[in-house]
Amino acid sequence: MLRLLLLAALAAGPTLATAQVWPSKPLRLVAPYAAGGPIDISARLLAAKLQDSLGQPVVVENRPGAGGNIGVDLIAKGPADGYSLVMSAIATLAINPSLYPSLPYDPLKDLRHVTLLVQVPNVLIVTNDLPAKNVRELIALAKQRPGKLDFGSGSNGSTGHLAGEMFKMMTGTYMVHIPYKGSAPALADMMAGRIHLMFDNLASALPSIRSEKVRALATTTLKRSSFLPELPTLDEAGLKGFDMTTWWGVSVAAKTPQPVVDRLSAEILKAMDAPDFKDRLRNMGSEAPAIRTPDQFASFVASELKTYTELVKRSGAKAD
Amino acid sequence: MKIKSQQDWWAGWMFVAFGVFFILFALGTPEFIDRIVGTKLIGGYQMGSSVRMGPAYFPVVLGGMLAALGLIVLLDSIVEEGPEVATFHFRPLIFIAISSLAFAYLLKPLGLVLASIVLIFISAYGGHEFKWKEVAIMSVVLAVFSVLVFVKGLALPFPVCPDFIEVCPIR
Amino acid sequence: MEGIFGNLAIGFIEVFKLQPVTMWGMTLQHVPFNILMCLIGCLLGTLIGVLPGIGPVATIAMLLPVTFNLSPIAALIMLAGIYYGAQYGGSTTAILVNIPGESSSVVTCLDGYQMARQGRAGPALATAAIGSFFAGCVSTLVVAMFAPPLAEVALKFGPAEYFSLMVLGLVAAVVLAHGSIIKAIAMVILGLLLGLVGTDVNSGVLRFAFGISELADGIGFVTVAMGMFGICEIIANLEQKEHREIFTSSVGKLMPSKEDWKRMWKPILRGTFLGSALGILPGGGALLASFGAYTLEKKVSKYSHEFGKGAIEGVAAPESANNAGAQTSFIPLLTLGIPSNAVMALMIGAMMIQGIAPGPQVMTERPQLFWGMIASMWVGNLMLVILNLPMIGMWIKLLTVPYRYLYPSILLFMAIGVFSISNQPFDCFLMACFGLLGYVCVKLGCEPAPMILGFILGPLMEENLRRAMLLSRGDPWVFISPSKPISMGFLIAAVALLAIIAAPALRKKREEVFVEET
Repeated sequence: MLRLLLLAALAAGPTLATAQVWPSKPLRLVAPYAAGGPIDISARLLAAKLQDSLGQPVVVENRPGAGGNIGVDLIAKGPADGYSLVMSAIATLAINPSLYPSLPYDPLKDLRHVTLLVQVPNVLIVTNDLPAKNVRELIALAKQRPGKLDFGSGSNGSTGHLAGEMFKMMTGTYMVHIPYKGSAPALADMMAGRIHLMFDNLASALPSIRSEKVRALATTTLKRSSFLPELPTLDEAGLKGFDMTTWWGVSVAAKTPQPVVDRLSAEILKAMDAPDFKDRLRNMGSEAPAIRTPDQFASFVASELKTYTELVKRSGAKAD
Repeated sequence: MKIKSQQDWWAGWMFVAFGVFFILFALGTPEFIDRIVGTKLIGGYQMGSSVRMGPAYFPVVLGGMLAALGLIVLLDSIVEEGPEVATFHFRPLIFIAISSLAFAYLLKPLGLVLASIVLIFISAYGGHEFKWKEVAIMSVVLAVFSVLVFVKGLALPFPVCPDFIEVCPIR
Repeated sequence: MEGIFGNLAIGFIEVFKLQPVTMWGMTLQHVPFNILMCLIGCLLGTLIGVLPGIGPVATIAMLLPVTFNLSPIAALIMLAGIYYGAQYGGSTTAILVNIPGESSSVVTCLDGYQMARQGRAGPALATAAIGSFFAGCVSTLVVAMFAPPLAEVALKFGPAEYFSLMVLGLVAAVVLAHGSIIKAIAMVILGLLLGLVGTDVNSGVLRFAFGISELADGIGFVTVAMGMFGICEIIANLEQKEHREIFTSSVGKLMPSKEDWKRMWKPILRGTFLGSALGILPGGGALLASFGAYTLEKKVSKYSHEFGKGAIEGVAAPESANNAGAQTSFIPLLTLGIPSNAVMALMIGAMMIQGIAPGPQVMTERPQLFWGMIASMWVGNLMLVILNLPMIGMWIKLLTVPYRYLYPSILLFMAIGVFSISNQPFDCFLMACFGLLGYVCVKLGCEPAPMILGFILGPLMEENLRRAMLLSRGDPWVFISPSKPISMGFLIAAVALLAIIAAPALRKKREEVFVEET
């Protein structure tokens, strides 16, 4: 009898131990993109901070592929013990489910969303030669020349693309979408005047705006950006309710125990509030998100998913 | 019809095969085959027009060019003298391929140290001389070196210890 | 002119500045910290350049958190050092073991490795180092003096111009081959087709992926290069029992002979010029530069029959070109704030984290940063040549190690490198497949180098072709319209080059026909 009890205790020991003393081994933060992009960089920043506060190494693992789906799926289907985290983003949670014909994971059911890390607005920028000094003039120009204006984006189904589609739908205009591999070549073509406008995220567009190589007309969020306070929002300019940001955060597998999720959330928020980390995120164009708790994040994801499912369907964008 | 150049003969067939492969998968199986089989065997992509090219356009054109060049090479092989195909040495081919596959698929379960040792042993076996002691020493040295340089130095997220060891002393 | 020297002075002062450094509780005064960072970057870069499969992108990404605690200039100097260090290191593996470290070292493999097989690894490595150093110096000057106007030129390259340039590049790729022209063209096309695997930019359709989600982003260059060059080479070497004797018995001098020097200076000049020009183009500039230089040399050199068998020009020209290209690829970053390749994108990330918005205003708002970076390019190149030349002796010694020890190590490093791309086994599987393909191709007399070039350029070419057509609303004459002189120029050059290539082959065929008829 005693031996049975001992055996039972030994068997339960490790699980009890891990549950009580999380984290007791290194964590793994999967960045589902190739090394070097903004999500990867913020993952490394976060990992460095979490390592200090959690006392365990946090290793960033790049798992690129399929617009981020592979990496997210890895965590969604992986062990729900709180040692595997993933950088989930608007693409993998809200857009890809309708963009790709089939997704191996369900963004709401298979994942538990912990913290929203970054929210970056997009900016409507036009080439300097375009005779439109504000949004009103742009809409008029687009209506005058249907199908003559080209708008660029970082890829099919990117936030830039979908913002453009939303713009077209709300203003009833027809502009041609020109996809690029990343927003840098699109920006280059815009500076040269080969394409007319694009919705680029603030961080990558800011240098060109500041150096006056392109002209910014509006931001895509409801609130004005603190980086360009004189820039009106699309909502102010007449497209009521236009609110699109590029965002990303940290998620874990759905069945991760609640105390682990809470502790993770608290630690990440602590890191985000640290002044140096906040600064660095700000330098990427992000304003501190108002959404803080996992529940807020989860409902945010749900509403974004709904918005973009609708938008993708109506715009006809697809990644096969 | 005598094959004057064995190399060109097989090269030609290789090119034709690749060309047809790409055309087939870009265009999809033609209607009549689908009807015989019952379902769409291979779906293709849109061809588009030459002014608005679809995703299938380039592959089909290129595949066609490749197949055509393959046919020219085939013709050449009958007309012109050319070298023979040197013998295939299967032993190094198989062992090298297997060793890299073994490494890749054993890395997560066995960890870097053991997977490296497996790779060294299998690839050394594919060579000409295989002395157990030599290979053993070399594999240990290289495993340690790899851990130091790649995991410690370059911080690559490779597991060092096998899965069944809960907490790894090296990280 | 004085402005330039004044600015360069600012730069050098910044690089050589002595600063107090606090580390591990101790504060040391008068430490030339920036130089130290440059040295560390160059060393690290050389190391990862030599290791097959691991590239500067992954390393720089991994080091980004380290740079937070450094001053912006120190951070950028170190990261830049890694970048050009990797170029130098990549040439080393290309020459010694026929494995290209970077895409731009593919061309160095062709003649560099042959030189090594003839016991001339020393002169090959030395030529690469010297050519790279010279090119680095000259192109740094180019960056310093002509950055803004060159950036404007770069902006003139739209999709039509890129397409035409790629066409020219692909025709040049055929020149690379020293065997049958028809088979070379076929290999280029095969490479083009393999490059199309993955998500199509213009339509979002997933092509030739057969449901394998790992193929959604296409096949990586490193995977193909390791497979077709690395694995294939190891298998080929293992076939021949006596192979390694050739290497070990005639390992010759370390330095180039007088004749070598005489032959290498003009290719270095031409390579530098071409590299500086093409490097400014975002996306593929450095690669085009290296094999454009090779093609040019092969056509103008009186030793052109030696190309592919160990001609020193075949090492000098591409090495100079790719280093010049590496330096000038900073121009779009520093002047426009646009990255020309993945490494530059990381630099932008590093700058942004430090709170510096990259763009033209960096030159005026932070002259120490801008000119310090330019000065560090010189210092970095100098350090690299000082580091690399003595190491040649060490590399030669390494070649004398019996092959049965060497090849498992190379294989292990390749496997680790390829695995680390996306941390899953699939890429190694692909590498093995490409190894098999490469082996078959070599047996059948088809060369892998044109295929790899087609592989890299193909998708770019298609992307730009379709984008140009999209922008011109379906007008196919846009490529040779008078309003696009650059595009027209490249296409004319491509046709001319094709004619030059085809002419001797046609003449030979005609002679053969005559011989048979008489």
